[in-house]
Amino acid sequence: MTFEELFTGYWWLMFPVFGMFIALIGMFQAESRSRQVMNLIKSYVDQGKEPPPELLKMAQERSDYNMDVGLPTPRSSGLWSFFVFLALAAGFGVGYWWIRAEEWSFAFLIVAVTMGVLAIGSLIIALVQRNRP
Amino acid sequence: MTVELFRDFWWLMFPVFGMVMAILGMVRDHDYQSQIIRQAREKLERK
Repeated sequence: MTFEELFTGYWWLMFPVFGMFIALIGMFQAESRSRQVMNLIKSYVDQGKEPPPELLKMAQERSDYNMDVGLPTPRSSGLWSFFVFLALAAGFGVGYWWIRAEEWSFAFLIVAVTMGVLAIGSLIIALVQRNRP
Repeated sequence: MTVELFRDFWWLMFPVFGMVMAILGMVRDHDYQSQIIRQAREKLERK
């Protein structure tokens, strides 16, 4: 099997592999950073000093790689995610329609369906959040 | 072969560019946070 055949057959694998790589690196970085920030704040408090505001801000920030299960904190994020996922689903859906004759068009369909499901989930979250007190 | 490969997959340059930008953004973000932590640590040790 030549490189060309291998690439033609499995080019789409670069996206999930990249996603997994970034998620792993981000998770380890976020965990290490949180520990460092908390230890520093503890040291400041132990010495009776006020921690720098940038440090407190970092401790309050929600990580992009946070694995907490729950509703997103900002009220508008659910609706924003809905529109983003809807746009992605539409884009990949149109892409699939254009190249549906190709053998590898299923990759576009998988992404379009996944984005569509995520859009529906985001809409549900946005509606639930709106009804919360 | 190379020309055919490029003709079939030229559009991949856009998502690949996005990936490179994502990695660069992550590195910059990490550097900025490391800088804040380093400065806070230095400030704590100075006082």
